[in-house]
Amino acid sequence: MAIPFSLPRDPHASLGMTLYKHMLIQLFLLLIIAIIALRLYAKLRAREINGRQFLLWLIIWLAAALVVIWPDITVWIANRVGVGRGSDLVIYLAIIFLFYTIFRLLLRLEKMEKNLTELVRQEALKNFNDQNDQDDK
Amino acid sequence: MKSIIIIPAYNEAGKIGEVISGINAIGNLDIVVIDDGSTDATAESATVAGAWVLRHRLNRGQGAALHTGIDLALSRGFDAAVFFDADGQMEPNEINLLLNKLNEGYDVVLGSRNLGLAPNMPLSRRLVKWLALIFTRWTTGLKITDTHMGFQAWRTAALRRINLDQDRMAHASQILSEIARLKLKYVEVPVTIKYTDYSLRKGQDNLGLFSILWDLLIK
Repeated sequence: MAIPFSLPRDPHASLGMTLYKHMLIQLFLLLIIAIIALRLYAKLRAREINGRQFLLWLIIWLAAALVVIWPDITVWIANRVGVGRGSDLVIYLAIIFLFYTIFRLLLRLEKMEKNLTELVRQEALKNFNDQNDQDDK
Repeated sequence: MKSIIIIPAYNEAGKIGEVISGINAIGNLDIVVIDDGSTDATAESATVAGAWVLRHRLNRGQGAALHTGIDLALSRGFDAAVFFDADGQMEPNEINLLLNKLNEGYDVVLGSRNLGLAPNMPLSRRLVKWLALIFTRWTTGLKITDTHMGFQAWRTAALRRINLDQDRMAHASQILSEIARLKLKYVEVPVTIKYTDYSLRKGQDNLGLFSILWDLLIK
């Protein structure tokens, strides 16, 4: 099926409609972000996450909301920082954030492994000594 | 010197009995087997063969198993400990070789395959070992010919001072770093390692070196 090079002009389209659709998408995204924020708060209340984690993620989602409301803010920041496009900046930041997060995760994992090993070793020694004390009785 | 043989073991039910008998044949030594979470009857076989047996509930690696064995040796008043493999690659007769050398006044005696005979060692593994050698000389400053040789004899006084927290294969490198750090008196003696089809199948694969580097970097 051939795709036309330019879309046929919709005789029903007008500036108003475009703005309307634009705002509709924004509201939809904001709604989603609001739901996420509420669930985040619920997690805080349920003590699944602590205050610091809540704040961190809240800030991230508020920033996302800000970009939804005012997409050009990314362009503004990008220009200030000296990066090409707004979306480029977002991607760079996301990558940095991901690397950092992964690094922290690996450290935590390593710590957990060491703790687990220590538990397993101490249990082995304790069982052996208890058993030996039993045998001696 | 009151000595103990420390044998970390993982799924060696078929071999461990043989290994323990082999050691009993050369002298009346205390033996402790650390079953590192085996899924077979390693612990039972070792008990039947007459050794002390400690059991890790989960598999944590050779370094961890050795550490547990060392803790036991230190708590039972031994003067010396010998690390021995559970897969039948090592020669029990050479235990006395190591202990006698230790008696001459050293803190640690390290077995080396490159001073002695190593029949059947595949070329690919030779290359990996050589690279590991260069790396260890560079990082630890120890002039040794064989870096990942588990056949070692230690004075317990020296064992008390070392710090062991690398679980998996990186523990071998850590042991050497500790020897260097504490400036322990060490010496190498030639040992023979039998590479049989059985032990080659189970042995450290050639990527082993890189996983060791990775472990050490992400400490």
